[in-house]
Amino acid sequence: MPHDNGPHDVIMPALGMAQETGKIVAWQKSEGDAVKTGDVLFEVETDKATMEVEAQADGFLNGVRAAAGEDVPVGNVIAQIGSEAQASEPVAPAAPETGSAEALPEGAEVIMPALGMAQDTGLIVAWHKALGDEVAAGDILFEVETDKATMDVEAGENGYVAALLAEAGEAAPVGAPIAVISAEKPANPVQRSQADAAAPATSQTKADSAPDSKPEPEPAKVPQAPAPKRTDGRILASPKARRLALEQGLDLKRLVEAGHPQPYHVADLEVLKALPEKTAGSAATASRHLTAELSTDGFAEFAAWASESEGLNDTNTLLAGLAAASLGQGEATITVESFDQARAYAVPAGAFSAITLAEEGATPELILRDLRMSRVSTVALGAEEAPVLTLSYAGSRLVVTLECAGHHLTAAQAVSLLSEFAGRVEQPLRHLL
Amino acid sequence: MAKTKTNTEDYLRMYRQMVRIRTFEDNANQLYLSAKMPGLTHMYSGEEAVAVGICEALTIDDKITSTHRGHGHCVAKGAEFKEMFCELLGKEEGYCRGKGGSMHIADQSNGNLGANAIVGGSMGIATGSAFTSKLLGKDDVTVCFFGDGATAQGLLYEVMNMAALWNLPVIYACENNGYSEYTKTEEIAAGSITARAEAFGIEAHQVDGQDVLAVNELTQKLVARARKGEGPFFMELMTYRYHGHHVGDINREYYRSKDEETDWKENKDPIIKFRGWLVEQGIASEEEIEAMNAEIKKDAEEAVAYAEAAPYPDQSEVDMHVFTDIKHALARDTA
Amino acid sequence: MREITLSQAVNEALAEEMRRDETVFIIGEDVAEAGTPFKVLSGLVEEFGTARVVDTPIAEPGFMGLGVGAAMTGSRPVVDLMFGDFIYLIMDQLCNQAAKSYYMSGGKLNVPLVLRTNLGATRRSAAQHSQSLHALVAHIPGLKVAMPSSAYEAKGLMKTAIRDDNPVVIFEDKLMYNDKAPVPEDEFLIPFGEANVKREGSDITLIGTSSMVQVCEAAAEILAKEGIEAEVIDPRTIVPLDEAALLESAKKTSRVIVVDEGHQSYGITGEIAGRINEKAFYHLDAPVLRMGAMDVPVPFSPALEDITVPTPEAVAEKARKLMSGEMIHAA
Repeated sequence: MPHDNGPHDVIMPALGMAQETGKIVAWQKSEGDAVKTGDVLFEVETDKATMEVEAQADGFLNGVRAAAGEDVPVGNVIAQIGSEAQASEPVAPAAPETGSAEALPEGAEVIMPALGMAQDTGLIVAWHKALGDEVAAGDILFEVETDKATMDVEAGENGYVAALLAEAGEAAPVGAPIAVISAEKPANPVQRSQADAAAPATSQTKADSAPDSKPEPEPAKVPQAPAPKRTDGRILASPKARRLALEQGLDLKRLVEAGHPQPYHVADLEVLKALPEKTAGSAATASRHLTAELSTDGFAEFAAWASESEGLNDTNTLLAGLAAASLGQGEATITVESFDQARAYAVPAGAFSAITLAEEGATPELILRDLRMSRVSTVALGAEEAPVLTLSYAGSRLVVTLECAGHHLTAAQAVSLLSEFAGRVEQPLRHLL
Repeated sequence: MAKTKTNTEDYLRMYRQMVRIRTFEDNANQLYLSAKMPGLTHMYSGEEAVAVGICEALTIDDKITSTHRGHGHCVAKGAEFKEMFCELLGKEEGYCRGKGGSMHIADQSNGNLGANAIVGGSMGIATGSAFTSKLLGKDDVTVCFFGDGATAQGLLYEVMNMAALWNLPVIYACENNGYSEYTKTEEIAAGSITARAEAFGIEAHQVDGQDVLAVNELTQKLVARARKGEGPFFMELMTYRYHGHHVGDINREYYRSKDEETDWKENKDPIIKFRGWLVEQGIASEEEIEAMNAEIKKDAEEAVAYAEAAPYPDQSEVDMHVFTDIKHALARDTA
Repeated sequence: MREITLSQAVNEALAEEMRRDETVFIIGEDVAEAGTPFKVLSGLVEEFGTARVVDTPIAEPGFMGLGVGAAMTGSRPVVDLMFGDFIYLIMDQLCNQAAKSYYMSGGKLNVPLVLRTNLGATRRSAAQHSQSLHALVAHIPGLKVAMPSSAYEAKGLMKTAIRDDNPVVIFEDKLMYNDKAPVPEDEFLIPFGEANVKREGSDITLIGTSSMVQVCEAAAEILAKEGIEAEVIDPRTIVPLDEAALLESAKKTSRVIVVDEGHQSYGITGEIAGRINEKAFYHLDAPVLRMGAMDVPVPFSPALEDITVPTPEAVAEKARKLMSGEMIHAA
């Protein structure tokens, strides 16, 4: 950094398009020389030619830190022009400065030199001086390996090795300080490695670019609330989640009902699979549960009449017949469950005498569960493969319950079915006639 | 190969080629007028002495680049009627399998690097062709045909500069027919056209583009010198187009008069002039010339009939010839 | 394996091909003694002479047009366009002439030309020297477009380009000239249309071009530490495009981010995202995201320029968002 009274930095200028360093061919002024603005300070070689660089201020040339023959990164301070000759004035560190420099002993920083065009870092092969050693400017301080060769680098300053900031075997970015040479013998010499270096490498590859740059200014992140439930019945889900759900017979609506936040991704299918099975039954489709209570039970009377006058002794056949008639669709297959038995009946339109047992494996349109002989009074067992009509007694009253899934029957159909059946059970003969 | 045309055969060949161009264009115009030809075309009629005078001074290995008004160059450089008419009608047997049409006929077997629908678009190509000749130590010369309108394009000056710097064997042949599309050349060209080439140190000549012998004689000299590395050269050929900018440019009174057109057709026609000279010199009789004209007319009519009956390319060709090594470009990425 | 810079790799490729084939020549501004401003061609004029390493006047349409004609007639020019931004100057020669000649001539006049140029921002060169215009070229049928992502690709793709019988545009990232990568000493070519899976992963696919491959790899490193396994794919050529490899990866991971340094709108990212959407839709668990350069002219100030291009952090952030199952909004 420039001193308060403003010594003028002499900087390696950028002269060519692809130029990262400039080679000092020769100094025309020496340390301590008086210079005037416009005086040629040094010659620099770039990709195209050798150029003379003039002084931009009057004063004395101090702190020359790059020798003839050296390649210096463009923009680096290579000397200063001060108000008086100060042969050993410590010179401001060359940019870029690392964050750790503040804690370092005072003195001239030795930087990793840029030795080739393509070089971003230099590998320190060996230090030739140890911490605290006295050094002369021309002493070899360390050896550096570049893409082309190994080179000795001189201390560049007289003094003592006050800090070593890279270990042998480590690479340091070009331009980074790797040592400090102090005028006085250091009280607390500092030893660090590049791995400790706080500052990032200066390399300009985009992959290394600062993490604080963002591709686009984004508004501050708001915690993402679950998407509000949609009322139009559409579910937000990824194409893959939808496809897999379809292939595996999974119903995404169950996730909606379970309150799982949308949109759904493949991972959410695992949540869906883990939902309790019971929920699966009732939640898979909106279930329907309807009950009718009958004050008079005409069925027992009817069963007796049928047995006597028509020779129909199987009560289950009668129930199947009434149930099928309630469906109002002509032919039907009805399963009747009673006493732990389930029988499927084929019920044609017309007389009860034509009812036969259904073929094995026939799918029932309706299940009739006869619990009149049991102690169960009310049921809520959930939907089965087909709508279920249950007959039970609550005290002296006959109760008819219809349970089914939403897709079995619409609400209106369910009400109609239960009404029809209850009516038939209440007054079987009237309906038969 | 080019040698001084001193014998009968060469003169008759020049005449024949000029009549072939005129006949080709008359038929192309008829195809357009009878709605048999898709798109538009630009007639070369009136400028025949330019293409023929120049191309007769070239060998088959010499290259030309052509323009949107390119049928004349194509015929003069050796193309066949059948493939040309097929191309005009978009047929599979056309020079470009129906993919180029009137403005893009290329016939590299005769050294024609193609017509170009961008005014001035081929100047770089011609110069590059000459560059190859020099790079690979060949002795062919390239002639770059372009019109007076194209002299307004900056590319011309960029490539003339390079051709002059590197002594490339290229001849820039400016066909000055007096009109830049629908505008008089004097309204679009400041100063002298030949002086522009001379500014680059290029030797430039202005020649009567209606005089096939004059054009041929000058071209022979320049081609021979270009082969020896004395190029480039520039020629401004003063000529006239009988039709409008294109076949649909019928009503053109607003930019040029019928009297002017009549004057060129009656008094400066390159074919009539050269025919008169052939008879006068005793190189051909009127009867022989009439017979030649009739034969060419018959050839053209047969070629037109052939092209009309020829098949269109199969639709599967639509994505062929996009790349040399990918047969069907659209099937490429999903392969 | 030895490591060389991208610049050296290009130089080697050109030298090898020029030794192999005497019809190959380089033409452009300051390509000979100057070796281009980036010094990529240094030393070539000494070996091949000014007849084959040809300095031109500053006349891009002129020398590009010359290249087209030379290519039509038996030469194999490598036309050197100093900055990709100058492609606007040569559009007629590139897109109306070179790209269409083979097609318009029905397969007679091919143009074996290489246009060597560059792309890439963050070099503090402002809006006329920082653009990445490969999408402009890839839009035109008849042009092949190669985008090397390291020294290895730069060499292998350049050699293939020179041997290709079609016009090929190679975009080198001008910030990568000094980047080193292992490059075999033995001769090798990289075929066009073969993507390279730079890193395998199962959770998300990052498709990157040119230097954005490095950005994607760096993003994958960040994500790996968080337990997200990103797959990184480098198409290497965008025309022809190895669509099959991209689709395969998309189907495998079901999440894709496409990262490219061209402007995002109407660009490569949209093209690739579109193809994945069309052909792998039912395998996607999240929308395919595009990350291109900001749709602004490239600004000069470092403070502004740096935020215009995708960074590893930004890519990682988008990837996290996709992985979280959060709702992705278009903005």
